[in-house]
Amino acid sequence: MKGFITLALVIVSSLFSYISFAVEQAEEIFKQLAPSLYQIRLIDKASGEKSSIGSGFQISSNGIIATNYHVISGFANHPTKYRIEYLDHQGNKDELTLQSVDVINDLALVKRSTKVNMPFFKLTQQIPTKGQELFSLGNPHDLGMIVVPGTYNGLKKESFNDRIHFTGSVNSGMSGGPVVNIQNEVVGINVATSGNQIGFLVPHEKLVALYQSFKREPPGDIEQQMSEQLSQNQNKLINKLLNSQWESKQLENAIIPTIDVPYIRCWGDSNADKTDALFFAAVANCSLDENTYLSSTFFTGSIEMEFRYMQAKELSNNKFYRLYEQQIRRAGPNNKAGKEDVSEYKCHHDIVMPSNKEINNKSIFCTRGYKKFPQLFDVLFLSASIDKDKQALISHFTISGIEQSPALAFTRKFMESVAWK
Amino acid sequence: MEIIIEEISRDHKLISRHRINKDTIDIGRSYQNDIILPDPHICPDHLRLTFNGEHWLIEDQGSINGSYLEDGKTSVKHHIINSGDIFSVGKSLIRIVYTDHPIEETIRLSTFESLINIMRHPLVLTFSIVLFAFVSGYIFYLNKLTETTFSQFLAPAIGMTLIFAIWPAMVALASHFNKHEARIMAQLGISFVFFNLLWISDIIDNIINFNFSSNWPISDLYTLVPIGLAFCLFWLNSYIGFHMGARRRIIVAAGITVLFFGGSYLVQTTNKHEFSAWPNYNATIMTPSFMFLPSSDVDEFIFNSEKLFTKIKKVIAKEKKKEQEKSE
Repeated sequence: MKGFITLALVIVSSLFSYISFAVEQAEEIFKQLAPSLYQIRLIDKASGEKSSIGSGFQISSNGIIATNYHVISGFANHPTKYRIEYLDHQGNKDELTLQSVDVINDLALVKRSTKVNMPFFKLTQQIPTKGQELFSLGNPHDLGMIVVPGTYNGLKKESFNDRIHFTGSVNSGMSGGPVVNIQNEVVGINVATSGNQIGFLVPHEKLVALYQSFKREPPGDIEQQMSEQLSQNQNKLINKLLNSQWESKQLENAIIPTIDVPYIRCWGDSNADKTDALFFAAVANCSLDENTYLSSTFFTGSIEMEFRYMQAKELSNNKFYRLYEQQIRRAGPNNKAGKEDVSEYKCHHDIVMPSNKEINNKSIFCTRGYKKFPQLFDVLFLSASIDKDKQALISHFTISGIEQSPALAFTRKFMESVAWK
Repeated sequence: MEIIIEEISRDHKLISRHRINKDTIDIGRSYQNDIILPDPHICPDHLRLTFNGEHWLIEDQGSINGSYLEDGKTSVKHHIINSGDIFSVGKSLIRIVYTDHPIEETIRLSTFESLINIMRHPLVLTFSIVLFAFVSGYIFYLNKLTETTFSQFLAPAIGMTLIFAIWPAMVALASHFNKHEARIMAQLGISFVFFNLLWISDIIDNIINFNFSSNWPISDLYTLVPIGLAFCLFWLNSYIGFHMGARRRIIVAAGITVLFFGGSYLVQTTNKHEFSAWPNYNATIMTPSFMFLPSSDVDEFIFNSEKLFTKIKKVIAKEKKKEQEKSE
């Protein structure tokens, strides 16, 4: 019996020491890294107050600090309205200058002035393994710097641009903060959260790439840099989509295309449960799960395709078409954009039969241009079949931030892939 | 010597007309007068007209309120009457004309008159009102998302018909107040015929929008048709209800048309200045039986869509230029 108690004591005490070890570890990490951690704040020049906050961390001895693009996007869009400021662990404040951005991966490099060589975060050389313990650092809700332990859960499967799935709470204000492994090396940057302990990080290699290219040749003009990144990313994506297998799928009596890539995810719904509905409707909707943040009112990089099949139950043709017409009256963009970001839409409509002669559609193509990035457009396509009395197929897509020729190439392929069974 | 005395209203509309063949004529409120005027501001023996062999003379008989040549300051005394003179007596007006007074030329009955007569014929009128009600009910039925019974769309059909009957009723009322014949049946008849024509023009508009691509300006041109129809309706309304010159009638009809369509156009253009993040496209579709034109192919559609990019680039460049000028 005595031996048993001793055993229990040993187990309890070792458990204790494990917990205290974890706490000590976090404390140790924080102590070592605190001098290189910053709160990044955007100060509205007119009022002198901060308008948004985030976190940042130093990655070079000469004062280069990494953060999220969305933390400083206000400055990137309106350099005269704001200035960027840091607040270090000792409460010192000073101005920062914007050096380089990566809008696709939501990264930015800013610089503080320093006369001495300062401590900085090392970027890791190796990719973590699943289940490995990581520590996220940042300043959530302006409450002061904190450490959040969590685990690495690999890359998010459905993303076109890689994101690390981190199990641990990443809160607003921690954006731009580093996530380190037990060796205090940066493996990712806090970027987003889906709530409930699901956080997303930008992998460290994106930051490495941005920093390397910055060291080689700093960008001359941030807007130009953004413009190139947007074009390049969207061209890469559209090329991938156009060169991927477009599989024909059946939606009731219609043939619709699906693109076999993991980052385009599809959902479906129908009104089969509504017995009093005047027509049967089934919807398939496929979209890219990510988009690119340009400002709080301007998002781009989204892709969405939607197909809606309708069949009249006991309806006259005229009434069916009237209700059908109401379904296509209002189609809108699926990215947020304001007056200062985009022009208004211009549209073309016609009755079009694809070369397979399998369907006859009223097709509408609309596009609007980006004011800051004149080679980029948002496009919206809507097509409604008009060759069957009691059946209808609406095929629709929107793509934001795309160049003219890929937009038209995608439209062509899309139009040719829709048919009746 | 024969003379004609007309009692007229303040806006010179005829109330009664007397033709008298005497050389002395008495006018007043008492019953021994040749012309008895019931106006309490007129004296029992108010006025006397006499023919002196050459002229008619008018003389006030010392009445309390006097008799004046219209707008005249002093009461008439041995005044020589010219044909067409208007005198104010008490609060009434009388006009005196000789038998050889010139009259206006005869207005030929317009061909519209026979058309209007057809439209106000009870059978035709009933038919056009029933047709209108039927179409309103049918449109209500088409737009209803749930199953509808006959009685459900009877109410909106009748309601719509009554609402649209307000216009001809108001025109008839207005002409009645202007001392013209109300001619409510004629007003209803032509109004409902035109309302039905507007339905038809709507259907044609839909067929055009459905069939033609946005390359054709035809649907823009077609907006003139309902405007033209409305103008014709207003013209006929005023033709039936009011007697006025041809030019004035055109101006009045055009004025009402501008008021109707100009107002909605104004609202549209003021809304246009506000930025819209949503596209504005023509989504008209109709059943396959309404399709008359052959379809385009994908190449043609892509070619036409490509032009939009150039247009947008121009719009953005123009805006940039404007902004630069502003900042300078």
